[in-house]
Amino acid sequence: MPSRNAYQNQIELLQGTLDMLILRTLQSGPEHGHGISQAIRANSRELLKVETGSLYPALHRLERQGWLASEWKVSDKNQRAKFYRLTAAGKRQLTAEESKWKLLLLAIAGVMNPETNQ
Amino acid sequence: MKWLRRQKEESLEEEIRVHLAMASQARIEQGESPDEATRSARREFGNELLIKEVTRDMWGWSALERFAQDLKYAFRQIRRSPGFAAVVVLTLALGLGAITAMFSIVNGVLLEPMRFPDPGRLYVAQTIVAPRFKATGPWPVNARHFSEWRTHGKSWGQIALVSGMSLTLTGSREPEQLSGFSVSYNFFRTLGVQPARGRDFLPEEELPGHSHVVILTDALWRTHFGADPAVIGRTISLSGEPNLVIGVMPPALRMPTGGEWGPGFGSAPVIFQPLGFDVSQSRAYGEYGWGSILRLKPGVQPQQAVTEMNALIADLVRQFHIESKPGMTPLEDQATSGVHSSLWLLLATLGAVLLIVCVNAGNLMLVRTSGRYREAGVRMALGAGRGQLFRIVMTEAIVLVAMGGSLGLFLAYWGLKSFVDAAPVSLPRLDEVHMDWRVLTFSFIAMLLATLLCGLVPAWRLSRIAPLESLKSSVANSELRQRLRVREAMVSVEVALSTVLLVVGALLMLSFLRVIHTDQGFEASRVITQDFSLIGPKYTDVRTRGFIGSALLELRSIPGVESASMADRVPLRGDGTTCGLRDPDHLIDPSHPDAASNFAGLASYRFVAPDYWKTMGIPLRSGRVLNLSDQNRKVAVVSQSIAEVLWPGQDPIGRHVMSCGSIKSTVLEVVGVAGGTRVSPEQAPPLMVYEPYWEVLRGGGSFVLRTRSDPAAVIGSLHKVLRSLDPDLPIAPATTMQQILDESVADRRFEMDLAVAFAVAALLLASLGIYGIVSFAVARRTPEIGIRIALGARPRQLMAMMIRQGMLPVMAGLAAGLGAALLIGQLLASQLFGISPRDPVTISLVTLLLLFVAVCACLVPARRALRIDPARALRSE
Repeated sequence: MPSRNAYQNQIELLQGTLDMLILRTLQSGPEHGHGISQAIRANSRELLKVETGSLYPALHRLERQGWLASEWKVSDKNQRAKFYRLTAAGKRQLTAEESKWKLLLLAIAGVMNPETNQ
Repeated sequence: MKWLRRQKEESLEEEIRVHLAMASQARIEQGESPDEATRSARREFGNELLIKEVTRDMWGWSALERFAQDLKYAFRQIRRSPGFAAVVVLTLALGLGAITAMFSIVNGVLLEPMRFPDPGRLYVAQTIVAPRFKATGPWPVNARHFSEWRTHGKSWGQIALVSGMSLTLTGSREPEQLSGFSVSYNFFRTLGVQPARGRDFLPEEELPGHSHVVILTDALWRTHFGADPAVIGRTISLSGEPNLVIGVMPPALRMPTGGEWGPGFGSAPVIFQPLGFDVSQSRAYGEYGWGSILRLKPGVQPQQAVTEMNALIADLVRQFHIESKPGMTPLEDQATSGVHSSLWLLLATLGAVLLIVCVNAGNLMLVRTSGRYREAGVRMALGAGRGQLFRIVMTEAIVLVAMGGSLGLFLAYWGLKSFVDAAPVSLPRLDEVHMDWRVLTFSFIAMLLATLLCGLVPAWRLSRIAPLESLKSSVANSELRQRLRVREAMVSVEVALSTVLLVVGALLMLSFLRVIHTDQGFEASRVITQDFSLIGPKYTDVRTRGFIGSALLELRSIPGVESASMADRVPLRGDGTTCGLRDPDHLIDPSHPDAASNFAGLASYRFVAPDYWKTMGIPLRSGRVLNLSDQNRKVAVVSQSIAEVLWPGQDPIGRHVMSCGSIKSTVLEVVGVAGGTRVSPEQAPPLMVYEPYWEVLRGGGSFVLRTRSDPAAVIGSLHKVLRSLDPDLPIAPATTMQQILDESVADRRFEMDLAVAFAVAALLLASLGIYGIVSFAVARRTPEIGIRIALGARPRQLMAMMIRQGMLPVMAGLAAGLGAALLIGQLLASQLFGISPRDPVTISLVTLLLLFVAVCACLVPARRALRIDPARALRSE
């Protein structure tokens, strides 16, 4: 059984990225936890499988930080579920995270392909 | 809070349940069977409990929850050892409560600004007497000078004149004497207050003929006029004259009392009347009998105002050769000048006691935590962090201090109320003492400090343990020794603080004893004093003389009365009438006989009846006393000090001094020389001239009677005599000179009582600490002692060994304490009388006392060492 610490480490490693992915997913509209996990999986072509052990703590943390707001609504499948949506602050945070991510990509690319830097 | 938490929990449960339902639904849609779908969905989800816990962490409440848990644990611990908790909570309550109460007093009297608008700009105008007259402080001002200041002054918005006076209220009730202020018309405007009902005084009401108007205080209005609004416009009889009531002051008005305005004022006023004379016509020199307050204009410095005051009376100064100069003090300082240092001293003393209480509590907590090392070891082995252990002990300290602190606040509130009601001392602004936000903040800070002091060391010790060590059944000797070291250090601190407090208390006690044993100049035993006042148009000079003369005759014939007399002011009641002392035969500047340059000094003048010296027990040094046959002559009796100043080495009888008349001074022949009497218990007797009472008739004075036996028995007859002479006379309660003497030293006695009480408390607490150490040391060294006994050590050797161990920290603390006491001795000097703050006798006595108590505290547990059975001692290892 994975230990508590393992979960927390996972969260810390992925924290920045996972946050960004969640925020991006919600940019297209409010969604519930299961839906978010499905969306990420689908959009990443099955490459990213978000562990629920990371997902739900992340969702609650993002809500506490004020980037998401939640509401219990009835889904299109006539099921009551907790929907999360992006707040205005969340939108701003998403933009910030996106630019950070792009910078990171450039940096990593620069290291991996040093010739292209000339 | 709890249901909110539960709501969130339920929401999370629901959210996870929904997720699982959706996940299994998706699988079913993909063709799995319902059972398989549920199972694999759950498997994919992961450890539900763990996920819930991690998610809960995200809510950020864990800190709060941890604290709540620690609290529950702390309460459980306290319940388990109620005795320890009771001792700690009680001592903390006493310490914190006492210091909170003391701070409330300091706050109300010293720190809180006065209840007038913008009180920082209110100043008391004063007269700085020329240094050669050796006056004990600044004097009140002269009315004519005030007139110049008021008419032409630009540095102040308002300047007012005020003096204490009394009026007799007659009417439906018993005639009663009311304390009041005689004021210039703009007095209330200067303070920045106005009547709640009716109106303020008008300028013309200050002048003679128009001044029979009065303003009442709210309290007087309620007690004597039933809070009837129709009192405005009513005429009441005051001192035999009709007066119109024109206003009532608001209840919030707090008039500083007595000495807070300057010398010469009585108790708090209940009634206000305008001056009744034209200040611009009064005498420009000599009569410094008026208090004056002024309100500086914004931006004006006090120094500028004083310069202007000097300039405005420059002509008068030149004309009349005036030697004194105007000065100013802030009203707030003037009001509290007498008690400033005492209050801070007491607060500091209490701080020291509180420190000892906290150190003691900390020590007790340390003992307890020592017993919990094993438990702590187990906790650490199970995964608790050091931080958690630290937190647990601190939480316990917080709980104990919180309980002690709240109990202390309650004690402080209740104690303050009874203190203010009983008021054993004459503190200025005592009625403004209550617990406001400043006091509560101070109390909170004190509690915080107490928590740190109590909890820090035990918490730190507990968190530093090595888990493996603590789990062993016996505790290593080195560990015990370390624990002992810490406790010894704490006891040293306690002893040092106790030493300082004992020195302070001893010095104050010796000062007090010296004050009351000083020769006051008269015999206080078996003397009754009866104040009387003869005011109003009924009492002309003739009538007054007649009243006093008849009264004295009748009083002398009361059985039990040895002799009777009167004086305008009895000893220990202040300077009274003071004038420049002049010998008309030896003027320094004969061309200006009234000039101050001719004054050999300032003398207090008393107006007395014959037999005064016999009644008061004042020794006669030469010549004779005044008697009735002097009625046609101008004579006086002077004090020994005057004879030494004016005619050193010569016979003073037959020489002359000038009288202290306000209209015109007359030449008096000296017929006798008497001993000096004090006007306040700690000042040397002033120069004093005694004139016969019929020369200058004041509005009243005091009858003095020396009785053969118990003074109280005579009082009834005394009052009957006075009432028979004038039924409208208000009869004040009689006192004895002994009571007056006691009242004059009451403040000092109270301060001494408190300081000694604190010192004794500190000593007791320190001895408890010493006792604890030695007990602990005996317990620790039991095996060693067993061996020594087995090897033949004698009881005396063992006792000496244990006592030596206990006394070591005591000696360290004593040395530190004495050093500190010597250092801070200077700060104490202003409180002492007749004794130096480094008095070797006091310090030696305190040292001996402390050593004695410490040795006793060591003896009791040390004796236990003797009863150790060597066989058992060795076995219990």
